Amino acid sequence: MTVTPEMIAAFADGELAGEERQRVEAAIAVDPELARQVDRHRRLRARLSARYAPIAAAPVPERLTDLIASATKTGTASAEVLSLAQARARRGLAPAVRRWLPVAGPAIAASLVLALWQPWQRAERPGYAPAELASLLDNRLVSEQRADARPRVLLSFAARDGRLCRAWRDFGRGGIACRDSVGWKIERKLLLESTGTAEYRQAGSDTDLLAAAQTMAAGEALDADAERRAKTEGWIQPRD
Amino acid sequence: MKRTRPGVSSIRKARTLTETFETQLIDLLPRMRRFAYGLTGASADGDDLCQMALERALARRDQWQQGTRLDSWIYKIMRNLFIDEIRATRRRGETFVPDEAGFAIGAEGGQEATVELAMIDRAMLRLPDDQREAVLLVMVEGCSYKEAAEIVGCPVGTLNSRLVRGRDALMGLLEDAA
Repeated sequence: MTVTPEMIAAFADGELAGEERQRVEAAIAVDPELARQVDRHRRLRARLSARYAPIAAAPVPERLTDLIASATKTGTASAEVLSLAQARARRGLAPAVRRWLPVAGPAIAASLVLALWQPWQRAERPGYAPAELASLLDNRLVSEQRADARPRVLLSFAARDGRLCRAWRDFGRGGIACRDSVGWKIERKLLLESTGTAEYRQAGSDTDLLAAAQTMAAGEALDADAERRAKTEGWIQPRD
Repeated sequence: MKRTRPGVSSIRKARTLTETFETQLIDLLPRMRRFAYGLTGASADGDDLCQMALERALARRDQWQQGTRLDSWIYKIMRNLFIDEIRATRRRGETFVPDEAGFAIGAEGGQEATVELAMIDRAMLRLPDDQREAVLLVMVEGCSYKEAAEIVGCPVGTLNSRLVRGRDALMGLLEDAA
C-alpha cells in the first residue's frame, strides 16, 4: 500500500485518524524519506506561522474598530464599500475628511438620480453662483434637506480665510462655493466623466469634493447648530 | 392585565445578540487582518479587504446563522471579496498599490528578519489563488481540512490536493532560496 503525498501532508497536519493514521505511521517508521517529508511540512508550517503571527499581534487600525463601534451605536450598518478603488479613495483621505463622510453619506447613496441642472453654465456674474444655485446655498441646511434632494448640499465649513463655504453636488457635477460680499464665489467645480461604471465614479467624486473641502477648511465641518447660525447671519462670519 | 410587556425581553435579547455579534467581530479582527494580508500580500490592501468584509458582514448579519462559526463565515466573505473585487481589479491591469507599511510589519528583528518576511511574502504571491488560500486557512489560520473546504466551497479531497501542490511550490521556492 503506497502512501500518497496527500496522506503525508494530512498526517503532518494531524488530519488523519484511525487506520489511515496507523498506516502512515507504519510507513514512516520504515522509510526515513517519508519521515523527512513530514518534517519538512511541519517546518514550513512553523515558518509560515512565524511570518504571519506579528500581523495578528499588531494593533488593529482604528478605522476598522470604529466601523464596528459605529454599527453598535446606531444599530445600522454603514453602506458597503463596493470596490477596492472606493476603499482606497476613503483610505486616501485625511482623518478629518473621513469624519465628514457620514455627513455626506446619503448623497453617495442617492447619487444615481438623473438631473439636468447645470449651475455654472448660466452664471450671471462670472465666477459666482447663478441665482438658482445661490438661493440653494443661502437657504438649504444639510440637516434639513431630504435624503434625495438634488442638488444636495454636502457640508458647510469655515475656510482658512474666514469665509464660510459650502460643498454641493448634483448628478455628475458638484463644487464648492464660498460666500463673500458679492455672493457665492465658486471655488471648485467638479465635472465627472460620464463613461464607465457610474457608481464607482460617483462615490469617488464625493470624496474628491470632501478632500478639496478639507484643504480649504480651517477646522471641522459645521454641525447642524453652527450651520443654522451661519444661515441666520447670511453666511458671513461676524468679525471680531 | 395578563399581558406583561411582551416586547421588552425580546428587545433585550436582540440587543444582547447584536452585541455578541459585534464583540465577536472585534475579537476576530486580528485574525482577519492576518488572513487578508496573506491573501493580498500587502497590509494596505489587506486592511481595505477587512473593511469591505466588515461592512458586508454588518450589512448581512441576518444571513449569519446563530450557532454556526462566525470566523468561518467571515473567512468566506473575505475570500469571496478577494476574488470578486481585488483579483478582478488586478486583472483589469490596475497597478498593484505599493505597500505602505508592508514588509515592515513584524520586522523588528532587523535585516535578516525582513529578508525572511519578504521572501515568504513573495513566494506566497507566486502561488495560484486557490493554493494560497488553502495554505493560509490550514497552515496559518489553523482550520481543519473540513472547515477550509467549507470556506472555499470545494470537496475536502480537492482542498487536500491544492494544499499539497501549494506546499510543494512553497518548499521549492523557500528552501532553494535559503
